[in-house]
Amino acid sequence: MAVWGGATESDLKAAGAEALPDGRSGVRLRGWHIESSRRPILNSLALQEWEEKLGTSHLPEMVFGESSLYLLHEDSGIKLHFNAFDALKGWKQESLPPVEVPAAAKWKFRSKPFQQVILDYDYTFTTPYCGSEAIEPNSEKAISEGGCCSLCWEDCDERIDLAVLSSKEPILFYDEVVLYEDELADNGVSLLTVKVRVMQSCWFLLLRFWLRVDGVLMRLRDTRVYCAFVSDQKAIPVILRESCWREATIQSLSAKGFPSDSASYGDPNLISERLPVIAHKTQRLKVSRSITEGS
Amino acid sequence: MSDLDRQIEQLKRCEPLKESEVKALCLKAMEILVEESNVQRVDAPVTICGDIHGQFYDMKELFKVGGDCPKTNYLFLGDFVDRGFYSVETFLLLLALKVRYPDRITLIRGNHESRQITQVYGFYDECLRKYGSVNVWRYCTEIFDFLSLSALIENKIFSVHGGLSPAISTLDQIRTIDRKQEVPHDGAMCDLLWSDPEDVVDGWGLSPRGAGFLFGGNVVTSFNHTNNIDYICRAHQLVMEGYKWMFNKQIVTVWSAPNYCYRCGNVAAILELDENLDSQFRVFDAAPHEARGVPSKKPAPDYFL
Repeated sequence: MAVWGGATESDLKAAGAEALPDGRSGVRLRGWHIESSRRPILNSLALQEWEEKLGTSHLPEMVFGESSLYLLHEDSGIKLHFNAFDALKGWKQESLPPVEVPAAAKWKFRSKPFQQVILDYDYTFTTPYCGSEAIEPNSEKAISEGGCCSLCWEDCDERIDLAVLSSKEPILFYDEVVLYEDELADNGVSLLTVKVRVMQSCWFLLLRFWLRVDGVLMRLRDTRVYCAFVSDQKAIPVILRESCWREATIQSLSAKGFPSDSASYGDPNLISERLPVIAHKTQRLKVSRSITEGS
Repeated sequence: MSDLDRQIEQLKRCEPLKESEVKALCLKAMEILVEESNVQRVDAPVTICGDIHGQFYDMKELFKVGGDCPKTNYLFLGDFVDRGFYSVETFLLLLALKVRYPDRITLIRGNHESRQITQVYGFYDECLRKYGSVNVWRYCTEIFDFLSLSALIENKIFSVHGGLSPAISTLDQIRTIDRKQEVPHDGAMCDLLWSDPEDVVDGWGLSPRGAGFLFGGNVVTSFNHTNNIDYICRAHQLVMEGYKWMFNKQIVTVWSAPNYCYRCGNVAAILELDENLDSQFRVFDAAPHEARGVPSKKPAPDYFL
């Protein structure tokens, strides 16, 4: 596998970008500060704290609780943030019923009445999480305006410009961060990752929840976020977000003539098109200012 | 130097054997393993190791910390293969050591030592990639069927990959299992390799995902009492700290794959028991990057859409 040492000095310079100092992972350019961090999984003590805070006794086997990606527009204070805690809050809220694997059904049948299926939580850790957003409070402008801003996502008709993204502009910053992962006790995979690439003209990221329950179903929840840079760095940036949820049972795929063995479904990139879209929307980030009357 | 010693040296450099050599090694291993009991007797002192998962260079760290075989007597609790990059070299080295020093290393079966699981989680693909055919995978999976299911150290410490089974209350019941088969989807043999201890369970529990039973503290107490053992030592679950006691020190999980999947950042542990069965955990880190021929931190950028 090729190892990427990072963007070249000259690419960065040509784009007016600078890499973050002190070995940090990220870049500053066109008014944005983009930074990722990859840390070890949470230890047992931290996991306990999270369980209490989230009100659950089950968390994914691997929670990269201190790993994150954030993108801060320095002038407006608009900050998009991707982290495991908020994603697991979403999992807890959505609280889907557990997917039952065929083996479990068989077991229930043969088990004695006192043996209960006691784990009735969504062990797939499916989350509707699309990222977190906030106005960074110590942003100069946010303070000087004296106003109280809030962010919300509004449905829109604009689309992410795939043509621009297909051009092979040099990548100035790239990273992929795993937020959480569970092997479903060797019955598949549940994986939440976010990857980002920053070019001279825009940044683009993909937050992906990927689930395969062996022999049962696959679920793909993709969130793509895109921001094209404009000449005025102080202007409120236009940020588009597209969510696409796909899902299929192995049974339905096999009825269409696709293979039903798990080994054929290792890489979501290769099979996503086979999974029918069950929900899709495009949204634009809206900043509402509620400036105090008379000021 | 015998062929076998030369092969061990070669495997220690992480160089796989030729297909014909694998075949011959597996035949010899089969002769040894077929004689072993489902509850293989092990003498102390012994060093117990949990999941390795093809992390060859981290297993070399394990041997650095625990000492070389045969000087140190080892018990490996299964899950030698899958997920890591070097399942072939990892399993073959352990198997070659088993053939060379049958009384100084005990290998028992994990849930990944199965045809079905290895086709999904890496070992099958790795064999195909490294040998251009699936013959080596076939030889190895045939050996998996001969691996013992558990071990008993000085009649006092019961060791198994996963845990207990509602179909089993005595060690003698384990001894009667016909183990020479692919891991079944249910029943005692499956449970021993798949089940997990669980805090919130009283007695036996079922998980909706059907991955083995869950068993609570009272199940462990009664099993240990019935069989007159001090505690159970098992693997199968990732523990950030390398080991974890549960139920008032009646069962311990040992995990021996540091920086699991090359990204978790966890430490690993092995459990050293001396001749008096006094225990000491040795915790260790992953091999340094330069020593392991694994992609370093920065992923290659791609123009994902």
